[in-house]
Amino acid sequence: MKDFQVDTSMCVHCGLCLPSCPTYQVTGSESESPRGRVVLLDAVREALSSGRTPDPTAWGALDHCLDCRACEAVCPAHVPVGHAVEELRGLVPGRPSLLLNAAALGSPSGVRRFRRWVRVATRPGVRRILRAGTSLPAPWGPMLSLAGGAPTSQSAPSQEACRESGEGLGVTVRFFWGCVMEGLYARTNRRSAELLRRLGYVVQMEDAPLCCGALARHQGDPEGARRWARSIIARFEESGAAFFVTNAAGCGAAFKEYGAWFREDPEWAERARAFAGRVRDLLELVDLKRLPVPRRTAPDPVTVHDACHLVHAQGIRDPVRAILQRVGIPVVEMVEADLCCGSAGIYNLSHPEMARALRDRKVGGIPPGVTRVVTSNPGCLLQIQSGLRERGLLVDAVHWVDVVYDALWSGKGEDRAALG
Amino acid sequence: MRLWDELIRIVGPRFVSREDAVLSTYRTDAFTLHDGDPALVVWPRDAGEVAAVMRLLYARGVPLVARGGGTSLSGGAVPPTAGVVLHLSRMNRIVHIDPIRRLAEVEPGVVNQHLSRAAHPFGLYYAPDPSSQQACTLGGNLAENAGGPHCLKYGVTVNHVLQADVVLPDGTPVRMGSLTAAPGALDELGALIGSEGTLGVIVRAWVTLLPIPPAHITFMGIFDTVDDASRAVSAVIAAGIVPAALEMMDPLAVTAVERGRYRVGYPESLGAVLLAEVDGESGRVSEEAHLVEDAFRRHSARLLRRAESEAERDLWWANRKTAFGAMGLLARHYYVQDGVIPQSRLPDALSAIAAVSRAYALPIANVFHAGDGNLHPLLLYDDQKPDTVRRVVQAGHEILSACLALGGSVSGEHGIGIEKREDLARQYTPAELRMQRALKDAFDPRGLINPGKIFLDGR
Repeated sequence: MKDFQVDTSMCVHCGLCLPSCPTYQVTGSESESPRGRVVLLDAVREALSSGRTPDPTAWGALDHCLDCRACEAVCPAHVPVGHAVEELRGLVPGRPSLLLNAAALGSPSGVRRFRRWVRVATRPGVRRILRAGTSLPAPWGPMLSLAGGAPTSQSAPSQEACRESGEGLGVTVRFFWGCVMEGLYARTNRRSAELLRRLGYVVQMEDAPLCCGALARHQGDPEGARRWARSIIARFEESGAAFFVTNAAGCGAAFKEYGAWFREDPEWAERARAFAGRVRDLLELVDLKRLPVPRRTAPDPVTVHDACHLVHAQGIRDPVRAILQRVGIPVVEMVEADLCCGSAGIYNLSHPEMARALRDRKVGGIPPGVTRVVTSNPGCLLQIQSGLRERGLLVDAVHWVDVVYDALWSGKGEDRAALG
Repeated sequence: MRLWDELIRIVGPRFVSREDAVLSTYRTDAFTLHDGDPALVVWPRDAGEVAAVMRLLYARGVPLVARGGGTSLSGGAVPPTAGVVLHLSRMNRIVHIDPIRRLAEVEPGVVNQHLSRAAHPFGLYYAPDPSSQQACTLGGNLAENAGGPHCLKYGVTVNHVLQADVVLPDGTPVRMGSLTAAPGALDELGALIGSEGTLGVIVRAWVTLLPIPPAHITFMGIFDTVDDASRAVSAVIAAGIVPAALEMMDPLAVTAVERGRYRVGYPESLGAVLLAEVDGESGRVSEEAHLVEDAFRRHSARLLRRAESEAERDLWWANRKTAFGAMGLLARHYYVQDGVIPQSRLPDALSAIAAVSRAYALPIANVFHAGDGNLHPLLLYDDQKPDTVRRVVQAGHEILSACLALGGSVSGEHGIGIEKREDLARQYTPAELRMQRALKDAFDPRGLINPGKIFLDGR
């Protein structure tokens, strides 16, 4: 028997996971459910152990898993179905998306290149061309369709000194730029740092071209993921900061799992665990009392899409709503707010049909009258925005930091100058 | 034309499968001691497709089972050999909620909890709340006449269904019951509900919704012994209160749920946890609350608490309702029993279960609806060697025999299915069984719908 480390034997087939699973919601098939995947996992593992090629249908159904963690979050026995699929991905040969990932994000120079590439998609002229290509076959069509969800060009202004920071907390935090966030949402990154300062933190920028490793991990390349993790951990240890902060749910979920990534590595296990304990999503650092009272009244209502890697993987659901409420923005809940939008790393490129079905379901669930869908992960922003554009809806997908920033500070002149 | 091609003609090529990998995921439901070997899975879109598929299968003599969430604990959705699984997961629309008449029209694949969620804006909810309510579907709830913690006060599924559209085995659609509550000569809807999918396939149902009670108070009582807790339960009932729910867990069950998803933080070394809830008009609720607290105190509750917030109440219930799934954290497999005993005999039943646990050297956790004496002993085991499974099943039969000896019944709410066929034959006389068999034969003379369930004769 090959050595599979992720144990799913605690599954007692109760079936409580089924409605939480996006692929079960779309297909209605038990084989596309977490409980079904536990059955298929055993079969595929057995095939791999005895050197046989796994049944393509079984493997296909497993590979459909979005790693959204929704089933893991509701499972009474903590069966790690998503993690088990992830582990298998690296062992089943011939996955083209792996190459895609390695080419784009395998190294710091790759990340630098990636940030530049994706930024191209935000230029108006390029966007028109992109839109024309969305009907091309996969992966090009879906890729261009997704790129259509990119925001209009956000220049990356130079770092701005703190202007009106409140009373200092004397706590230093290290803010992670990320790959997609910095490529497409550089302004949101600056505003995030600024928000931290105004909350009283001393902010260090982790602006090196680094990836959290989540994409490599989801695609079944755990060693590639660990390479990223080692450099991030080492740099954090040297920094002396108290917390490592991200505004991207997917990165945060990965950082918090670093302990598990190095469980078998005596040299790094303790360091990774310690690092993971210092990771915070930006939402976790917002002390409502330190936010100023909003100056504008009666803004348009918004709705919230809970990013999977925030709500399911990190268990953070209420803070974004509390913050929006505090800054005076009414929230109208959408149906299935915590159902995956189909972004899921590069899933929308590797599984375009399922991704599109989930995207359209997500966009269809937006209640009437809202003008913004608020979320906390770059993949979700892109995916939902591309769906909104294709439907021609006058609704935008926005990061919560931008919503809060607009409500509290933008238009005061300083914002335009300092934050692009 | 071949069956395969005809099915494709009815539901389209995407919604029928015969692939081994897909079929392998349909071999069991939440009861894993027996599995079936289906030939096909079909996902019909609406009542018309269900009827067309069933007409076809009837003409060809192919057996079938209807499936919803697949959460049956007695094998209700285990497929017949070489049969067809009619998976109703796509038929999951809440067609209409009528807040004036307080009823909902639903398709069978609607998840129980989703209906309550949809009714919430109208101040209404669907009362029967099986522990699997986050996943089980209303079609399955009707088929199994599902219960749940809050059925003590509000009654089980049959008390909440007005009307249902059903496809008979030969494909004929019929409507049973009535929205005007004028009963027919024979209560065919009453026969259908709880028939475990052996009489027809439910394709639509009209169920009653209740106003959300204006007030509720939830209690947690910790007791040093099960005897004390049992006496407290009897005292609550004797005080003339019908609590909305009255639930007990023993130490092993508590160990599992405390390692699970929803940790309450129960104290160490307890004898039993009692959860009680009273609801209704606020004046009445606070009166009843005092009576409950008084009963708990008189019977030496070591700790007595009221839930301080909705969040705390939700946590207590989530902890309780995920108990079965959490057993996976104690052992790889469990076999849950569903015996019923007169509520006053709880201590006797629990000592009988403890004796079985010792005799078979099997750990048994107990989670049960104490208010109505519905026991759920969970027999824990680790391997699926035939010898182990035989021992587990035998231990289960002994527990049910003990329930019968105490004047109880072999099933409270999980159904007979495959699991309790032998036990049913012990509970009823041959004449009673013949009567039930005749009812089944009247609906399904060719024995094509969910065959092999309830009765031992294999039909």
